[in-house]
Amino acid sequence: MSQAPSGLPFARTEIQADGLAVVTVGGVWSADVALPDLAFKGDRVKVVAEDLGTFDSSLPSWLFARGRHVRQLDLSGLPARLQSLVTMAEKASETAEKPEEFGLLERFGTWGVDSGSSWARAFEHVGQTALGFLRMVTGKAKVNWSDFTLQLQTAGVDALPIVALLGFLTGLIMAYVGLIQLRQVGATVYVANLVSLAMTREMGALMTGVIACGRTSTAFASQLGSMNVSQETDALRALGISPVEYLALPRILAVTLMVPLLAVFATFIGVFGGMVVACAGDLSVEQYLTQAVRAITFKSFLVGFIKSVAFGFIAAWAGCYRGAVAKRSALGVGEAATSAAVLGITFIVVSDALFAVIFNLFNL
Amino acid sequence: MSGGRDILVCQDLAIGHGDRVVMDRLSFALPAGRILAVIGPSGCGKSTLMRALGGLDEPIGGRTTLMGIDLATAAGADRQSILRRTGFLFQGSALFSSLTLRENIEMPMREFLRCPAKEIRQLAEYKLALVGLADAMDKLPSEISGGMAKRAGIARAMALDPEVIFLDEPSAGLDPVSSGRLDELILRLRAAFGTTVVLVSHEVPSILRTADFCVYLDPETGTMGAYGPPKDFLQAGQAPKVHAFFTQARFD
Ligand SMILES: Nc1ncnc2c1ncn2[C@@H]1O[C@H](COP(=O)(O)OP(=O)(O)O)[C@@H](O)[C@H]1O
Ligand SMILES: [Mg+2]
Repeated sequence: MSQAPSGLPFARTEIQADGLAVVTVGGVWSADVALPDLAFKGDRVKVVAEDLGTFDSSLPSWLFARGRHVRQLDLSGLPARLQSLVTMAEKASETAEKPEEFGLLERFGTWGVDSGSSWARAFEHVGQTALGFLRMVTGKAKVNWSDFTLQLQTAGVDALPIVALLGFLTGLIMAYVGLIQLRQVGATVYVANLVSLAMTREMGALMTGVIACGRTSTAFASQLGSMNVSQETDALRALGISPVEYLALPRILAVTLMVPLLAVFATFIGVFGGMVVACAGDLSVEQYLTQAVRAITFKSFLVGFIKSVAFGFIAAWAGCYRGAVAKRSALGVGEAATSAAVLGITFIVVSDALFAVIFNLFNL
Repeated sequence: MSGGRDILVCQDLAIGHGDRVVMDRLSFALPAGRILAVIGPSGCGKSTLMRALGGLDEPIGGRTTLMGIDLATAAGADRQSILRRTGFLFQGSALFSSLTLRENIEMPMREFLRCPAKEIRQLAEYKLALVGLADAMDKLPSEISGGMAKRAGIARAMALDPEVIFLDEPSAGLDPVSSGRLDELILRLRAAFGTTVVLVSHEVPSILRTADFCVYLDPETGTMGAYGPPKDFLQAGQAPKVHAFFTQARFD
């Protein structure tokens, strides 16, 4: 023990007169330190050890990566236990087989054992998400950031066409219904106020939230639910990685970020939809826009924005939660998707009502 | 290799699902650097035991100490450290289906090791080559056979150079050549790193070749039939059921 070498890993090459490259390796090898950057030269290489301390598989893998293309590799100067690990890998690449049959693994996603729809489980999941968020902020959580960027795209950008279509039609319908009433009192110019106020405060966020439930909650529930089936979440837990942090957090963050942006987009498209109807007979474009700009205050914009953040969170969380508690079967995954959409839409409408009360109290 | 020290100790362990006890009164100790085979008929609770020993499921009763840490009370950092220092192959492989084999093995490394991407790649390629998958590294789990998925799962379990590795039926679905290679790999890992291995296997020759100890789970009594070196059970004597397991399988 006392004279065990403890230096950093090192490697050097000497080319002998007969062309044989002698590589000397030594030190303490660990996957946590920088390994020597050295390529094997020539097609005859002999590796010897000098002051070699403890090593993990970084050393055999280092040797394997360099030695596999060398025609004549002599490892006899290494300890037997190290030699055996390098040659084992070499043999593998020679006898590697071709695929014969196709296994049917479920898509990436899995966790939660029971299907408990209980409130306790739901609160626990919210708690885990919040805790995971804190751990992420302090840099402790393991988060799959590639899921985050993927979801920015699929839950955000890819939703633009449907959000545009539904936002446009919502504005159009509101203007149409509003005009019928306003014509009776000869106040058709206020249709612009009606549409823009409703879109900003209410419909932009609500429509986008509901679309997110239909598109995203269901997708998340089935992704994570099927990961339960294939034990992929178990595999994460076995590595000491929390599935909530690794899988749910990036999804929730991405959607909570994208839904407000989509809602703003829907709002403007809706106002435009109203304009198409209003300007078809009753108003001029200028009249409509002047009224609309007057109606959209910062306050109402803020109200809509706050709501859309909450709706985005709810939609993403509902999907992740139902996926997490999905039963371990194909049927369970389907149920999870359905119940995610139902749960998401219900929570969104209920919280919309709560927001109405709260904003009323604060006079927003 | 620190011989002698018991790395895994079970005392009166009871395992099961929910309230249903599958096995109880399990007591044994495994010294570090040894190989333990868990044997018994299908459905007797081998996978359940593995999950409890690895700290993935709560036992119904009793106590498991893994690497000196009591699994029942280990929380937070202790638990993390146990999970980080163990590897687990699930019976169903449980590969991440959206990642290629290489990415499956790189994932834990990227999360836990601080070395550069190039070295991680090199390590992952090496581990896949160890299990004979050097030519399938860029395939998705859905594009490979069950036996290949098993081997990729083994490579992932080995990704972080675990001190204890749990392998649930590693040789099921493997051809005899791959299965023999796997035995060899387990022995070499133990020789090089002193890795402790707990595995479930039905293959008597392979158990006799690799295992230092075996524990037989007897579904009729609901507890362990015997614990000891596999060679002891080749002679008729103390544990007739275990003897039958070893000898019957040897005749076919
Ligand atoms: N997720 C589960 N929920 C409830 N019971 C289970 C579950 N998994 C396995 N079991 C039951 O536990 C017993 C032991 O199963 P298992 O440990 O998988 O057996 P083995 O691996 O020895 O074939 C079986 O009776 C099985 O039906
Ligand atoms: Mg099993």
